[in-house]
Amino acid sequence: MFIKKLALTTGLMLVPFATIAAEVPITGTVESRCIIQTSTPGTYGNPNAYTLSTQAADGGDQAVVRFDVSLADAYYAEITPPLAFSSAPNLPDQVSWTGEVSVQSVSDATGMGTYETDKLELGNTDRYTLTATGSTWFAIHSTATMGGNKAFPGGTYTAVAEAVCIAK
Amino acid sequence: MLLPGYSYSDSLVPYYGTTGNAVTDQSLTWSMPDVLPKPPGLEIDTVLYNYTIRKATEDHVDVFVGNENADGTGYIFREHDEWRPGSLDGTQINKVVGVGTIHRDLWGDGFIDVQGNGSVENPNVIYSYRVDPCYDPQFNPGCPGYVAPKVEVPEYDIYDATADMNSTQYNPNDELYEDEEGMSDEELAEKEAEEEKDSKERLEKALAAADNSAMFAQALAQGQQLESINRATNMNSYYARSIEGGSYNDSVQLTDKQLPDNRRGLRNNLAQQRLHQQMVEQQYNK
Repeated sequence: MFIKKLALTTGLMLVPFATIAAEVPITGTVESRCIIQTSTPGTYGNPNAYTLSTQAADGGDQAVVRFDVSLADAYYAEITPPLAFSSAPNLPDQVSWTGEVSVQSVSDATGMGTYETDKLELGNTDRYTLTATGSTWFAIHSTATMGGNKAFPGGTYTAVAEAVCIAK
Repeated sequence: MLLPGYSYSDSLVPYYGTTGNAVTDQSLTWSMPDVLPKPPGLEIDTVLYNYTIRKATEDHVDVFVGNENADGTGYIFREHDEWRPGSLDGTQINKVVGVGTIHRDLWGDGFIDVQGNGSVENPNVIYSYRVDPCYDPQFNPGCPGYVAPKVEVPEYDIYDATADMNSTQYNPNDELYEDEEGMSDEELAEKEAEEEKDSKERLEKALAAADNSAMFAQALAQGQQLESINRATNMNSYYARSIEGGSYNDSVQLTDKQLPDNRRGLRNNLAQQRLHQQMVEQQYNK
């Protein structure tokens, strides 16, 4: 019996008197499987006093943006040509905008060859479903026309096209 | 403990490069020796190509880009671009194909093969490569495994015509080959006397020939001397004559307005006319 008590007493001595808690952090980094890079910045040509255009025939250069996707059928590419100048001299009138986006080049003819015919036009934005892994180059054209056929004042004009990679 | 070591110069370090466009004509085929640079230790690791597809939207076109094996057994790589209906005319393709590291000797002819109702435009095929200068260790003494070449000098048997018993010049019956051991003292003395006599005669002939040569040489030298003297004749005094400048007026002056006939000439002329007349009349027996 003693021995039992002792044993009991010993057992009581081994029981902790308080509960200790710890928080273990778990972190992780998710790298995007969709990367957007500017391949060629565009430039506006000035074929007449009231027009700025990126068409080569008008003396401009189209902008080219590249989407690199390493996960198939997981992203949309949405590209919107500019609708305003981000910097420009004071303008005498309203400017009307037109824009066009098209697939210029692909890295996989089989998987990406129909991107252009399958695209969705959502207002001014073109949406492409990136169903294959690899790189796709999109060409962006933009034309700005001054209202009333008034001349663009001299100066530097900058407009920004927006390219977004959206997870499905 | 000593360990073997190698010292490398910059030229022995592997380096990387890319070729130009392998497609140079409309045949869409190319030979790799025409595309790759010369070094033997070249290994291709990547192929980059691009082109623009020309097709109707509803057509299906297959494009194959690749290289055959050098031994003709198949392909080193062969990419298939399937342009399905719906893919648009004018779309480009940019492709990067990793092939590992494959030595240049294994690469056969390259090709772009278009199947279907379409074509490719502006094709561009580029090979990325790595060159190991020490692929052949004998390229440079600094390369691992270099073995100093040994120059082996071939040994030739020197032909001794005098020892050649098969030579046509060898004639044991010739007196030059007579065995002097079998001759008596008298015969030897007689032979020596003959040889001495022959020797004097040969000396005289040689001296005479030398005299003749000296005389001939002297005559030749004199002739050349005279010729050189003639060539040295000074012609400058003739060449250096100059005519004084200025104007040379005509010295003939005709003061008479009417020149009378020369009477002596007239007489001579009449005499000749007379003679001519007589000759003509003789033809008619007058």
